[in-house]
Amino acid sequence: MFKRLFDWLRQPLGLIAVGIVLLTVFSLAAYGIFLTQQSSAQPIQFPHRTHVGFGIQCLYCHPGAARGPSAGIPSQAKCWGCHQQIAKTQTSALLAPLKQAVESGTPIQWVPVAMVPDFVQFNHRAHVAAGQNCEDCHGDMTLVTIAENPQVFNMGWCLDCHRKAAGEDEAKLLKLADCGTCHY
Amino acid sequence: MNSKIPEIKLSEEQTGKWGMVIDQDICTGCQACVAACAMENNLSFVGEVDAGYGRSMHWIRIERFWEGEYPEVKMTPGQPMMCQQCGSAPCEPVCPAFATVHSQAEQLNLQVYNRCVGTRYCANNCPYQVRSFNWRDYVRPEPLPNQLNPDVTVRRMGVMEKCTFCIQRIHKAEDKAKSEGRELTDGEFTTACAQACPANAITFGRIDQPESLVSQLIRKHGHGVKHLEELGTLPSVTYFKGG
Ligand code: HEC
Ligand code: HEC
Ligand code: HEC
Ligand code: HEC
Ligand code: HEC
Repeated sequence: MFKRLFDWLRQPLGLIAVGIVLLTVFSLAAYGIFLTQQSSAQPIQFPHRTHVGFGIQCLYCHPGAARGPSAGIPSQAKCWGCHQQIAKTQTSALLAPLKQAVESGTPIQWVPVAMVPDFVQFNHRAHVAAGQNCEDCHGDMTLVTIAENPQVFNMGWCLDCHRKAAGEDEAKLLKLADCGTCHY
Repeated sequence: MNSKIPEIKLSEEQTGKWGMVIDQDICTGCQACVAACAMENNLSFVGEVDAGYGRSMHWIRIERFWEGEYPEVKMTPGQPMMCQQCGSAPCEPVCPAFATVHSQAEQLNLQVYNRCVGTRYCANNCPYQVRSFNWRDYVRPEPLPNQLNPDVTVRRMGVMEKCTFCIQRIHKAEDKAKSEGRELTDGEFTTACAQACPANAITFGRIDQPESLVSQLIRKHGHGVKHLEELGTLPSVTYFKGG
Protein backbone atom coordinates (compact mmCIF):
# COMPACT_ATOMS: atom_id res chain seq x y z
CA MET A 1 0.00 0.00 0.00
CA PHE A 2 2.62 2.54 1.10
CA LYS A 3 5.02 1.26 -1.51
CA ARG A 4 2.47 1.89 -4.29
CA LEU A 5 1.96 5.44 -3.11
CA PHE A 6 5.71 5.99 -2.87
CA ASP A 7 6.26 4.70 -6.40
CA TRP A 8 3.52 6.95 -7.77
CA LEU A 9 5.06 9.95 -6.05
CA ARG A 10 8.42 9.22 -7.66
CA GLN A 11 7.15 9.55 -11.24
CA PRO A 12 7.32 13.11 -12.75
CA LEU A 13 3.64 13.86 -12.19
CA GLY A 14 3.97 12.82 -8.53
CA LEU A 15 7.01 15.06 -8.05
CA ILE A 16 5.09 17.99 -9.50
CA ALA A 17 2.20 17.27 -7.12
CA VAL A 18 4.58 17.22 -4.13
CA GLY A 19 6.13 20.46 -5.41
CA ILE A 20 2.74 22.16 -5.65
CA VAL A 21 1.76 21.08 -2.13
CA LEU A 22 5.06 22.34 -0.68
CA LEU A 23 4.76 25.61 -2.55
CA THR A 24 1.22 26.20 -1.27
CA VAL A 25 2.19 25.51 2.34
CA PHE A 26 5.22 27.76 2.05
CA SER A 27 3.38 30.69 0.49
CA LEU A 28 0.56 30.45 3.05
CA ALA A 29 3.16 30.57 5.84
CA ALA A 30 4.91 33.50 4.20
CA TYR A 31 1.60 35.33 3.81
CA GLY A 32 0.78 34.66 7.48
CA ILE A 33 4.11 36.11 8.57
CA PHE A 34 3.59 39.08 6.24
CA LEU A 35 0.21 39.76 7.89
CA THR A 36 1.72 39.88 11.38
CA GLN A 37 4.22 42.49 10.18
CA GLN A 38 1.56 44.91 8.95
CA SER A 39 0.77 47.97 11.06
CA SER A 40 -2.86 48.14 12.04
CA ALA A 41 -5.37 49.82 9.78
CA GLN A 42 -5.97 53.26 11.28
CA PRO A 43 -8.97 55.42 10.35
CA ILE A 44 -6.52 58.17 9.36
CA GLN A 45 -3.04 57.43 8.06
CA PHE A 46 -1.58 59.80 10.64
CA PRO A 47 2.09 60.44 9.85
CA HIS A 48 4.12 60.80 13.05
CA ARG A 49 7.17 61.38 10.93
CA THR A 50 5.91 64.65 9.44
CA HIS A 51 4.41 66.03 12.65
CA VAL A 52 7.35 65.20 14.91
CA GLY A 53 9.56 66.51 12.11
CA PHE A 54 7.87 69.93 12.43
CA GLY A 55 9.14 69.97 16.01
CA ILE A 56 5.78 69.34 17.69
CA GLN A 57 6.50 67.91 21.16
CA CYS A 58 5.17 64.44 22.00
CA LEU A 59 3.60 65.90 25.13
CA TYR A 60 1.61 68.42 23.08
CA CYS A 61 -0.44 65.58 21.64
CA HIS A 62 0.02 63.01 24.44
CA PRO A 63 -0.04 65.24 27.55
CA GLY A 64 -1.26 62.45 29.83
CA ALA A 65 2.21 60.88 29.77
CA ALA A 66 3.55 63.51 32.14
CA ARG A 67 0.51 63.56 34.41
CA GLY A 68 -0.89 60.09 34.83
CA PRO A 69 -0.99 56.43 33.89
CA SER A 70 -2.07 56.75 30.26
CA ALA A 71 -0.63 59.07 27.64
CA GLY A 72 -3.87 59.56 25.73
CA ILE A 73 -4.54 60.10 22.04
CA PRO A 74 -5.40 63.67 20.95
CA SER A 75 -8.97 64.49 20.06
CA GLN A 76 -9.86 65.91 16.66
CA ALA A 77 -10.23 69.36 18.23
CA LYS A 78 -6.48 69.43 18.77
CA CYS A 79 -5.78 68.38 15.18
CA TRP A 80 -8.25 70.96 13.92
CA GLY A 81 -6.48 73.76 15.76
CA CYS A 82 -3.73 73.48 13.16
CA HIS A 83 -5.47 71.83 10.29
CA GLN A 84 -8.28 74.31 9.79
CA GLN A 85 -5.59 76.84 8.89
CA ILE A 86 -3.71 74.51 6.54
CA ALA A 87 -4.74 74.70 2.90
CA LYS A 88 -3.96 71.06 2.27
CA THR A 89 -6.69 70.00 4.69
CA GLN A 90 -9.36 70.94 2.17
CA THR A 91 -7.77 68.94 -0.64
CA SER A 92 -5.88 66.00 0.85
CA ALA A 93 -7.63 62.63 0.66
CA LEU A 94 -5.67 61.54 3.74
CA LEU A 95 -7.30 64.30 5.74
CA ALA A 96 -10.86 63.75 4.52
CA PRO A 97 -11.75 61.49 7.50
CA LEU A 98 -10.53 64.23 9.89
CA LYS A 99 -12.69 66.86 8.19
CA GLN A 100 -15.64 64.51 8.32
CA ALA A 101 -15.08 63.73 12.01
CA VAL A 102 -14.91 67.42 12.92
CA GLU A 103 -18.02 68.26 10.92
CA SER A 104 -20.10 65.39 12.31
CA GLY A 105 -18.63 65.60 15.82
CA THR A 106 -18.02 61.85 16.05
CA PRO A 107 -14.74 60.81 17.69
CA ILE A 108 -12.08 59.11 15.57
CA GLN A 109 -11.78 55.41 16.47
CA TRP A 110 -7.99 54.91 16.60
CA VAL A 111 -6.80 51.32 16.81
CA PRO A 112 -4.56 50.84 19.87
CA VAL A 113 -1.04 49.71 19.09
CA ALA A 114 1.05 50.08 22.25
CA MET A 115 -0.61 48.24 25.08
CA VAL A 116 -0.05 45.79 27.89
CA PRO A 117 -2.59 43.16 29.01
CA ASP A 118 -5.36 44.08 31.43
CA PHE A 119 -3.58 42.41 34.37
CA VAL A 120 -0.62 44.79 34.11
CA GLN A 121 -0.81 48.28 35.55
CA PHE A 122 1.54 50.61 33.74
CA ASN A 123 2.12 54.22 34.71
CA HIS A 124 3.63 56.75 32.31
CA ARG A 125 4.04 59.48 34.91
CA ALA A 126 6.55 57.60 37.05
CA HIS A 127 8.69 56.87 34.01
CA VAL A 128 8.61 60.33 32.50
CA ALA A 129 9.36 61.85 35.92
CA ALA A 130 12.31 59.47 36.31
CA GLY A 131 13.72 60.86 33.08
CA GLN A 132 12.88 58.01 30.70
CA ASN A 133 12.50 59.18 27.12
CA CYS A 134 9.60 58.19 24.92
CA GLU A 135 12.12 56.71 22.47
CA ASP A 136 13.42 54.26 25.11
CA CYS A 137 10.15 52.39 24.93
CA HIS A 138 8.36 53.48 21.77
CA GLY A 139 11.29 53.73 19.40
CA ASP A 140 12.09 56.69 17.20
CA MET A 141 8.74 58.12 16.12
CA THR A 142 10.40 60.41 13.58
CA LEU A 143 10.92 57.31 11.47
CA VAL A 144 7.40 55.91 11.45
CA THR A 145 4.38 56.89 9.48
CA ILE A 146 1.73 54.98 11.36
CA ALA A 147 2.50 54.22 15.01
CA GLU A 148 3.75 50.70 15.59
CA ASN A 149 5.17 48.77 18.48
CA PRO A 150 8.93 48.38 18.06
CA GLN A 151 9.23 45.94 20.94
CA VAL A 152 7.04 43.52 22.80
CA PHE A 153 6.16 44.87 26.23
CA ASN A 154 6.90 41.69 28.10
CA MET A 155 7.73 41.29 31.76
CA GLY A 156 11.42 40.58 31.24
CA TRP A 157 11.77 43.84 29.38
CA CYS A 158 10.13 45.82 32.21
CA LEU A 159 12.13 44.08 34.94
CA ASP A 160 15.41 44.38 33.05
CA CYS A 161 15.20 48.14 33.02
CA HIS A 162 13.83 48.27 36.57
CA ARG A 163 16.87 46.35 37.83
CA LYS A 164 19.16 48.78 36.03
CA ALA A 165 17.19 51.77 37.31
CA ALA A 166 17.39 50.56 40.91
CA GLY A 167 21.16 50.09 40.80
CA GLU A 168 22.52 49.55 44.30
CA ASP A 169 19.39 50.90 46.01
CA GLU A 170 17.89 47.84 47.76
CA ALA A 171 14.63 49.51 48.78
CA LYS A 172 14.06 50.71 45.23
CA LEU A 173 14.76 47.27 43.80
CA LEU A 174 12.26 45.77 46.24
CA LYS A 175 9.67 48.24 45.04
CA LEU A 176 10.35 47.97 41.33
CA ALA A 177 10.56 44.16 41.27
CA ASP A 178 7.56 43.61 43.54
CA CYS A 179 4.69 41.76 41.86
CA GLY A 180 2.29 44.19 43.53
CA THR A 181 3.84 47.12 41.68
CA CYS A 182 2.52 45.94 38.33
CA HIS A 183 -0.08 43.21 38.98
CA TYR A 184 -3.26 43.95 40.95
CA MET B 1 24.08 45.95 38.88
CA ASN B 2 22.33 44.55 41.88
CA SER B 3 20.38 41.49 40.93
CA LYS B 4 20.01 39.64 44.22
CA ILE B 5 16.54 39.43 45.64
CA PRO B 6 16.70 40.23 49.36
CA GLU B 7 16.11 37.39 51.77
CA ILE B 8 12.61 37.02 53.15
CA LYS B 9 12.64 38.13 56.76
CA LEU B 10 11.50 35.81 59.52
CA SER B 11 7.88 36.32 60.43
CA GLU B 12 8.59 37.25 64.06
CA GLU B 13 10.46 40.36 63.04
CA GLN B 14 7.86 41.56 60.61
CA THR B 15 5.92 44.61 61.71
CA GLY B 16 3.61 45.28 58.80
CA LYS B 17 3.11 48.56 57.02
CA TRP B 18 -0.58 49.06 56.30
CA GLY B 19 -3.18 48.19 58.89
CA MET B 20 -6.79 48.53 59.81
CA VAL B 21 -8.66 49.22 63.02
CA ILE B 22 -12.29 48.16 63.32
CA ASP B 23 -14.55 49.38 66.12
CA GLN B 24 -17.28 46.76 66.44
CA ASP B 25 -19.19 48.84 68.99
CA ILE B 26 -20.17 51.37 66.35
CA CYS B 27 -20.57 48.92 63.47
CA THR B 28 -24.27 48.57 62.71
CA GLY B 29 -23.81 45.76 60.22
CA CYS B 30 -25.33 47.82 57.41
CA GLN B 31 -23.23 46.15 54.68
CA ALA B 32 -22.24 49.44 53.06
CA CYS B 33 -18.61 48.30 53.15
CA VAL B 34 -19.51 45.05 51.40
CA ALA B 35 -21.22 46.93 48.57
CA ALA B 36 -18.45 49.54 48.28
CA CYS B 37 -15.80 46.84 48.14
CA ALA B 38 -17.62 44.97 45.39
CA MET B 39 -17.89 48.14 43.30
CA GLU B 40 -14.30 49.28 43.84
CA ASN B 41 -12.74 45.92 43.13
CA ASN B 42 -14.81 44.63 40.19
CA LEU B 43 -16.29 41.72 42.10
CA SER B 44 -18.58 39.40 40.17
CA PHE B 45 -22.18 38.72 41.06
CA VAL B 46 -22.50 34.96 41.14
CA GLY B 47 -26.27 34.68 41.12
CA GLU B 48 -28.45 32.65 43.43
CA VAL B 49 -27.65 29.19 42.14
CA ASP B 50 -23.93 29.49 42.76
CA ALA B 51 -24.53 31.39 45.98
CA GLY B 52 -26.55 28.37 47.08
CA TYR B 53 -23.45 26.25 46.60
CA GLY B 54 -21.56 28.64 48.87
CA ARG B 55 -19.66 30.17 45.99
CA SER B 56 -20.60 33.78 46.56
CA MET B 57 -17.75 36.20 46.17
CA HIS B 58 -16.98 38.85 48.74
CA TRP B 59 -13.70 40.37 49.82
CA ILE B 60 -15.34 41.58 53.01
CA ARG B 61 -18.29 40.18 54.92
CA ILE B 62 -20.11 41.03 58.16
CA GLU B 63 -20.00 38.17 60.62
CA ARG B 64 -22.47 37.85 63.48
CA PHE B 65 -22.59 35.09 66.06
CA TRP B 66 -25.08 33.92 68.71
CA GLU B 67 -23.69 34.22 72.22
CA GLY B 68 -24.85 32.41 75.37
CA GLU B 69 -27.30 29.58 76.13
CA TYR B 70 -31.01 29.62 75.28
CA PRO B 71 -33.03 31.58 76.35
CA GLU B 72 -30.26 34.00 77.29
CA VAL B 73 -28.98 34.34 73.71
CA LYS B 74 -27.83 37.59 72.23
CA MET B 75 -26.18 38.55 69.03
CA THR B 76 -22.61 39.76 68.91
CA PRO B 77 -21.98 43.11 67.24
CA GLY B 78 -21.20 43.09 63.54
CA GLN B 79 -17.71 41.96 62.73
CA PRO B 80 -16.43 42.98 59.30
CA MET B 81 -14.07 40.24 58.18
CA MET B 82 -11.64 40.68 55.33
CA CYS B 83 -8.14 39.46 54.48
CA GLN B 84 -6.11 40.20 57.59
CA GLN B 85 -2.95 40.74 55.51
CA CYS B 86 -1.02 38.45 57.83
CA GLY B 87 2.66 39.12 58.39
CA SER B 88 3.14 35.35 58.36
CA ALA B 89 0.36 34.20 56.10
CA PRO B 90 -0.75 30.55 56.02
CA CYS B 91 -1.95 30.97 52.42
CA GLU B 92 1.46 31.88 51.03
CA PRO B 93 3.68 28.83 51.55
CA VAL B 94 1.06 26.39 50.23
CA CYS B 95 0.71 27.93 46.79
CA PRO B 96 2.44 25.60 44.32
CA ALA B 97 2.58 28.34 41.67
CA PHE B 98 3.91 31.19 43.86
CA ALA B 99 0.86 33.21 42.87
CA THR B 100 0.14 34.39 46.39
CA VAL B 101 3.33 36.05 47.52
CA HIS B 102 4.28 38.57 50.17
CA SER B 103 4.93 42.06 48.91
CA GLN B 104 8.17 43.15 50.51
CA ALA B 105 7.59 46.74 49.44
CA GLU B 106 4.04 47.18 50.75
CA GLN B 107 4.02 44.36 53.36
CA LEU B 108 0.81 42.95 51.97
CA ASN B 109 -0.26 39.51 50.79
CA LEU B 110 -0.57 39.68 47.06
CA GLN B 111 -2.64 37.57 44.75
CA VAL B 112 -1.09 37.61 41.29
CA TYR B 113 -4.12 36.65 39.21
CA ASN B 114 -2.24 35.92 36.03
CA ARG B 115 0.06 33.58 37.93
CA CYS B 116 -2.80 31.75 39.67
CA VAL B 117 -3.74 28.34 38.28
CA GLY B 118 -6.63 27.75 40.65
CA THR B 119 -5.48 24.95 42.94
CA ARG B 120 -7.40 26.58 45.85
CA TYR B 121 -4.82 25.42 48.40
CA CYS B 122 -4.59 28.98 49.73
CA ALA B 123 -8.32 29.23 50.44
CA ASN B 124 -8.30 25.90 52.21
CA ASN B 125 -5.40 27.03 54.36
CA CYS B 126 -6.79 30.45 55.25
CA PRO B 127 -8.00 30.41 58.87
CA TYR B 128 -10.16 33.49 58.24
CA GLN B 129 -11.92 32.01 55.18
CA VAL B 130 -11.68 35.28 53.29
CA ARG B 131 -10.62 34.06 49.87
CA SER B 132 -13.08 33.56 47.07
CA PHE B 133 -12.71 31.57 43.92
CA ASN B 134 -14.01 32.34 40.43
CA TRP B 135 -15.90 29.17 39.61
CA ARG B 136 -17.09 30.61 36.31
CA ASP B 137 -16.75 33.62 34.06
CA TYR B 138 -19.73 35.41 35.50
CA VAL B 139 -21.44 37.62 32.93
CA ARG B 140 -22.04 41.28 33.63
CA PRO B 141 -25.13 42.33 31.71
CA GLU B 142 -25.05 45.73 29.97
CA PRO B 143 -24.62 48.42 31.21
CA LEU B 144 -22.81 46.97 34.24
CA PRO B 145 -19.43 46.73 32.50
CA ASN B 146 -19.42 50.54 32.43
CA GLN B 147 -18.89 50.69 36.17
CA LEU B 148 -15.79 48.49 36.20
CA ASN B 149 -12.81 50.10 37.90
CA PRO B 150 -10.05 50.42 35.27
CA ASP B 151 -7.34 50.28 37.95
CA VAL B 152 -8.28 46.75 38.96
CA THR B 153 -7.89 43.61 36.86
CA VAL B 154 -11.11 41.86 35.91
CA ARG B 155 -10.59 38.30 37.08
CA ARG B 156 -11.49 35.30 35.03
CA MET B 157 -12.64 31.77 35.69
CA GLY B 158 -10.29 29.59 37.71
CA VAL B 159 -8.59 32.37 39.63
CA MET B 160 -8.51 32.98 43.37
CA GLU B 161 -9.05 36.47 44.71
CA LYS B 162 -9.17 38.33 48.00
CA CYS B 163 -9.01 41.72 49.67
CA THR B 164 -5.93 43.70 48.62
CA PHE B 165 -6.33 46.59 51.08
CA CYS B 166 -7.24 48.51 47.91
CA ILE B 167 -3.64 48.39 46.67
CA GLN B 168 -4.69 50.40 43.61
CA ARG B 169 -5.59 53.29 45.90
CA ILE B 170 -2.29 52.93 47.74
CA HIS B 171 -0.41 53.15 44.46
CA LYS B 172 -2.48 56.06 43.21
CA ALA B 173 -1.97 58.07 46.39
CA GLU B 174 1.74 57.26 46.52
CA ASP B 175 2.09 58.27 42.89
CA LYS B 176 0.25 61.55 43.50
CA ALA B 177 2.41 62.34 46.52
CA LYS B 178 5.56 61.56 44.55
CA SER B 179 4.47 63.76 41.66
CA GLU B 180 4.05 66.62 44.12
CA GLY B 181 7.41 65.86 45.69
CA ARG B 182 6.20 65.11 49.19
CA GLU B 183 5.59 62.20 51.53
CA LEU B 184 2.21 60.51 51.74
CA THR B 185 0.23 61.95 54.64
CA ASP B 186 -1.93 59.93 57.02
CA GLY B 187 -5.60 59.91 56.09
CA GLU B 188 -4.96 61.28 52.61
CA PHE B 189 -6.69 58.26 51.13
CA THR B 190 -8.45 55.26 52.52
CA THR B 191 -9.86 51.94 51.40
CA ALA B 192 -13.29 51.65 49.80
CA CYS B 193 -14.82 49.95 52.85
CA ALA B 194 -13.53 52.59 55.26
CA GLN B 195 -14.66 55.37 52.96
CA ALA B 196 -18.17 53.96 52.69
CA CYS B 197 -18.68 53.21 56.40
CA PRO B 198 -21.32 55.68 57.64
CA ALA B 199 -20.31 55.13 61.27
CA ASN B 200 -16.56 55.42 60.67
CA ALA B 201 -16.08 52.01 62.25
CA ILE B 202 -13.21 51.19 59.90
CA THR B 203 -9.96 53.16 59.94
CA PHE B 204 -7.09 52.48 57.58
CA GLY B 205 -3.52 53.69 57.72
CA ARG B 206 0.12 53.04 58.53
CA ILE B 207 0.56 50.85 61.61
CA ASP B 208 4.32 51.34 61.49
CA GLN B 209 4.04 55.08 62.10
CA PRO B 210 3.31 55.86 65.77
CA GLU B 211 1.58 59.18 65.01
CA SER B 212 -0.89 57.80 62.44
CA LEU B 213 -4.57 57.62 63.37
CA VAL B 214 -4.65 53.82 63.44
CA SER B 215 -1.66 53.67 65.79
CA GLN B 216 -3.26 56.29 68.03
CA LEU B 217 -6.54 54.34 68.13
CA ILE B 218 -4.72 51.14 69.03
CA ARG B 219 -2.94 52.93 71.88
CA LYS B 220 -6.09 54.72 73.05
CA HIS B 221 -8.31 51.63 73.24
CA GLY B 222 -5.55 49.43 74.55
CA HIS B 223 -7.57 46.24 74.39
CA GLY B 224 -7.64 45.49 70.72
CA VAL B 225 -8.08 41.93 69.54
CA LYS B 226 -6.32 40.40 66.58
CA HIS B 227 -8.27 37.39 65.44
CA LEU B 228 -6.62 33.96 65.66
CA GLU B 229 -3.40 35.67 66.71
CA GLU B 230 -2.51 32.50 68.59
CA LEU B 231 -1.86 30.78 65.25
CA GLY B 232 1.11 33.10 64.75
CA THR B 233 -0.33 34.68 61.62
CA LEU B 234 0.56 38.26 62.69
CA PRO B 235 -2.62 39.84 61.31
CA SER B 236 -2.70 43.56 60.46
CA VAL B 237 -6.31 44.19 61.48
CA THR B 238 -7.20 45.08 65.07
CA TYR B 239 -10.77 44.77 66.40
CA PHE B 240 -12.29 46.63 69.38
CA LYS B 241 -15.39 45.38 71.20
CA GLY B 242 -17.08 46.35 74.45
CA GLY B 243 -15.07 49.55 74.99
C1 HEC C 1 0.24 65.91 16.18
C2 HEC C 1 -0.03 65.10 17.31
C3 HEC C 1 0.96 64.02 17.73
C4 HEC C 1 2.29 64.17 18.06
C5 HEC C 1 3.14 65.43 18.05
C6 HEC C 1 2.76 62.88 18.48
N1 HEC C 1 1.73 61.97 18.36
FE1 HEC C 1 1.81 60.03 18.88
N2 HEC C 1 -0.09 59.74 18.19
C7 HEC C 1 -0.90 60.73 17.68
C8 HEC C 1 -2.11 60.13 17.16
C9 HEC C 1 -3.27 60.87 16.50
C10 HEC C 1 -2.01 58.73 17.40
C11 HEC C 1 -3.03 57.64 17.02
C12 HEC C 1 -2.77 57.13 15.61
C13 HEC C 1 -1.81 56.01 15.53
O1 HEC C 1 -1.79 55.15 16.41
O2 HEC C 1 -1.05 55.97 14.53
C14 HEC C 1 -0.73 58.53 18.05
C15 HEC C 1 -0.24 57.30 18.47
C16 HEC C 1 0.93 57.13 19.16
C17 HEC C 1 1.37 55.88 19.71
C18 HEC C 1 0.63 54.56 19.60
C19 HEC C 1 -0.47 54.54 20.63
C20 HEC C 1 -1.47 53.46 20.43
O3 HEC C 1 -1.41 52.47 21.16
O4 HEC C 1 -2.31 53.63 19.53
C21 HEC C 1 2.56 56.09 20.33
C22 HEC C 1 3.40 55.07 21.06
C23 HEC C 1 2.88 57.48 20.15
N3 HEC C 1 1.87 58.08 19.44
C24 HEC C 1 4.03 58.08 20.61
C25 HEC C 1 4.42 59.36 20.28
C26 HEC C 1 5.71 59.91 20.59
C27 HEC C 1 6.82 59.17 21.32
C28 HEC C 1 5.73 61.18 20.10
C29 HEC C 1 6.89 62.19 20.12
C30 HEC C 1 8.08 61.78 19.44
C31 HEC C 1 4.44 61.43 19.51
N4 HEC C 1 3.67 60.31 19.63
C32 HEC C 1 4.04 62.62 18.92
C33 HEC C 1 -0.61 62.08 17.65
C34 HEC C 1 0.62 62.63 17.91
C1 HEC D 1 0.96 71.78 15.16
C2 HEC D 1 0.06 71.71 14.06
C3 HEC D 1 -0.55 70.36 13.67
C4 HEC D 1 -1.29 69.53 14.47
C5 HEC D 1 -1.67 69.70 15.95
C6 HEC D 1 -1.69 68.43 13.64
N1 HEC D 1 -1.16 68.56 12.38
FE1 HEC D 1 -1.40 67.26 10.84
N2 HEC D 1 -0.14 68.37 9.69
C7 HEC D 1 0.35 69.61 10.05
C8 HEC D 1 1.12 70.13 8.93
C9 HEC D 1 1.84 71.47 8.90
C10 HEC D 1 1.05 69.15 7.90
C11 HEC D 1 1.71 69.20 6.54
C12 HEC D 1 0.79 69.82 5.53
C13 HEC D 1 1.47 69.87 4.18
O1 HEC D 1 2.13 68.91 3.82
O2 HEC D 1 1.26 70.89 3.53
C14 HEC D 1 0.24 68.06 8.41
C15 HEC D 1 -0.04 66.92 7.68
C16 HEC D 1 -0.94 65.96 8.10
C17 HEC D 1 -1.35 64.81 7.32
C18 HEC D 1 -0.84 64.43 5.95
C19 HEC D 1 -1.66 65.09 4.89
C20 HEC D 1 -1.17 64.75 3.51
O3 HEC D 1 -1.99 64.77 2.59
O4 HEC D 1 0.04 64.51 3.35
C21 HEC D 1 -2.26 64.11 8.06
C22 HEC D 1 -2.98 62.83 7.65
C23 HEC D 1 -2.43 64.83 9.31
N3 HEC D 1 -1.61 65.93 9.28
C24 HEC D 1 -3.29 64.41 10.32
C25 HEC D 1 -3.33 65.03 11.56
C26 HEC D 1 -4.13 64.54 12.66
C27 HEC D 1 -5.06 63.32 12.60
C28 HEC D 1 -3.91 65.36 13.70
C29 HEC D 1 -4.46 65.24 15.10
C30 HEC D 1 -4.04 64.09 15.87
C31 HEC D 1 -2.96 66.37 13.27
N4 HEC D 1 -2.64 66.13 11.98
C32 HEC D 1 -2.49 67.40 14.07
C33 HEC D 1 0.20 70.25 11.28
C34 HEC D 1 -0.46 69.74 12.37
C1 HEC E 1 9.04 52.87 30.32
C2 HEC E 1 8.58 52.75 29.00
C3 HEC E 1 7.72 53.87 28.40
C4 HEC E 1 8.05 55.20 28.27
C5 HEC E 1 9.31 55.93 28.74
C6 HEC E 1 6.94 55.82 27.58
N1 HEC E 1 5.98 54.88 27.31
FE1 HEC E 1 4.23 55.18 26.31
N2 HEC E 1 3.67 53.25 26.69
C7 HEC E 1 4.43 52.32 27.37
C8 HEC E 1 3.63 51.14 27.61
C9 HEC E 1 4.10 49.89 28.34
C10 HEC E 1 2.35 51.39 27.05
C11 HEC E 1 1.13 50.50 27.09
C12 HEC E 1 0.29 50.99 28.27
C13 HEC E 1 -1.03 50.32 28.49
O1 HEC E 1 -1.45 49.48 27.68
O2 HEC E 1 -1.65 50.63 29.51
C14 HEC E 1 2.42 52.73 26.46
C15 HEC E 1 1.37 53.36 25.80
C16 HEC E 1 1.46 54.60 25.19
C17 HEC E 1 0.40 55.21 24.38
C18 HEC E 1 -0.94 54.62 24.00
C19 HEC E 1 -1.84 54.28 25.14
C20 HEC E 1 -2.03 55.36 26.18
O3 HEC E 1 -1.38 55.26 27.22
O4 HEC E 1 -2.80 56.30 25.98
C21 HEC E 1 0.86 56.44 23.98
C22 HEC E 1 0.12 57.46 23.14
C23 HEC E 1 2.19 56.61 24.55
N3 HEC E 1 2.51 55.45 25.27
C24 HEC E 1 2.97 57.73 24.39
C25 HEC E 1 4.14 57.97 25.10
C26 HEC E 1 4.85 59.23 25.10
C27 HEC E 1 4.42 60.46 24.33
C28 HEC E 1 5.94 59.07 25.89
C29 HEC E 1 7.02 60.10 26.26
C30 HEC E 1 6.55 61.28 26.95
C31 HEC E 1 5.93 57.70 26.40
N4 HEC E 1 4.83 57.08 25.89
C32 HEC E 1 6.90 57.16 27.21
C33 HEC E 1 5.74 52.47 27.76
C34 HEC E 1 6.43 53.67 27.80
C1 HEC F 1 13.50 52.03 30.14
C2 HEC F 1 13.40 51.58 31.50
C3 HEC F 1 12.06 51.07 32.04
C4 HEC F 1 11.21 50.20 31.42
C5 HEC F 1 11.37 49.51 30.08
C6 HEC F 1 10.09 50.02 32.33
N1 HEC F 1 10.27 50.79 33.44
FE1 HEC F 1 8.92 51.01 34.96
N2 HEC F 1 10.16 52.32 35.88
C7 HEC F 1 11.39 52.75 35.39
C8 HEC F 1 11.91 53.79 36.26
C9 HEC F 1 13.23 54.51 36.08
C10 HEC F 1 10.93 53.98 37.27
C11 HEC F 1 10.93 55.02 38.39
C12 HEC F 1 11.62 54.63 39.62
C13 HEC F 1 11.54 55.78 40.59
O1 HEC F 1 10.42 56.07 41.04
O2 HEC F 1 12.54 56.37 40.84
C14 HEC F 1 9.85 53.06 37.00
C15 HEC F 1 8.71 52.96 37.80
C16 HEC F 1 7.62 52.13 37.51
C17 HEC F 1 6.40 52.08 38.27
C18 HEC F 1 6.05 52.94 39.47
C19 HEC F 1 6.69 52.43 40.72
C20 HEC F 1 6.41 53.40 41.83
O3 HEC F 1 7.36 53.88 42.41
O4 HEC F 1 5.24 53.64 42.12
C21 HEC F 1 5.60 51.15 37.68
C22 HEC F 1 4.20 50.73 38.11
C23 HEC F 1 6.31 50.62 36.54
N3 HEC F 1 7.54 51.24 36.47
C24 HEC F 1 5.80 49.66 35.69
C25 HEC F 1 6.45 49.24 34.53
C26 HEC F 1 5.90 48.27 33.61
C27 HEC F 1 4.57 47.56 33.78
C28 HEC F 1 6.80 48.17 32.59
C29 HEC F 1 6.71 47.26 31.37
C30 HEC F 1 5.54 47.31 30.55
C31 HEC F 1 7.91 49.05 32.88
N4 HEC F 1 7.66 49.69 34.06
C32 HEC F 1 9.01 49.20 32.06
C33 HEC F 1 12.02 52.30 34.26
C34 HEC F 1 11.47 51.44 33.32
C1 HEC G 1 7.65 45.89 36.21
C2 HEC G 1 6.37 45.32 36.15
C3 HEC G 1 6.15 43.86 36.53
C4 HEC G 1 6.47 43.24 37.72
C5 HEC G 1 7.19 43.83 38.93
C6 HEC G 1 5.98 41.89 37.61
N1 HEC G 1 5.39 41.71 36.39
FE1 HEC G 1 4.50 40.01 35.72
N2 HEC G 1 4.13 40.87 33.91
C7 HEC G 1 4.43 42.17 33.59
C8 HEC G 1 4.03 42.42 32.21
C9 HEC G 1 4.18 43.74 31.44
C10 HEC G 1 3.46 41.22 31.74
C11 HEC G 1 2.81 40.97 30.37
C12 HEC G 1 3.72 40.20 29.48
C13 HEC G 1 3.19 39.98 28.10
O1 HEC G 1 2.21 40.58 27.70
O2 HEC G 1 3.80 39.15 27.44
C14 HEC G 1 3.55 40.26 32.83
C15 HEC G 1 3.12 38.93 32.75
C16 HEC G 1 3.15 38.05 33.80
C17 HEC G 1 2.74 36.67 33.72
C18 HEC G 1 2.28 35.97 32.46
C19 HEC G 1 0.81 35.98 32.35
C20 HEC G 1 0.33 35.50 31.03
O3 HEC G 1 -0.79 35.00 31.01
O4 HEC G 1 1.03 35.66 30.03
C21 HEC G 1 2.89 36.11 34.95
C22 HEC G 1 2.57 34.69 35.38
C23 HEC G 1 3.43 37.15 35.82
N3 HEC G 1 3.58 38.31 35.09
C24 HEC G 1 3.73 36.96 37.16
C25 HEC G 1 4.44 37.87 37.93
C26 HEC G 1 4.88 37.61 39.29
C27 HEC G 1 4.62 36.33 40.07
C28 HEC G 1 5.56 38.72 39.69
C29 HEC G 1 6.27 38.97 41.04
C30 HEC G 1 7.37 38.10 41.32
C31 HEC G 1 5.52 39.68 38.60
N4 HEC G 1 4.83 39.14 37.54
C32 HEC G 1 6.10 40.95 38.64
C33 HEC G 1 5.01 43.12 34.41
C34 HEC G 1 5.48 42.89 35.69
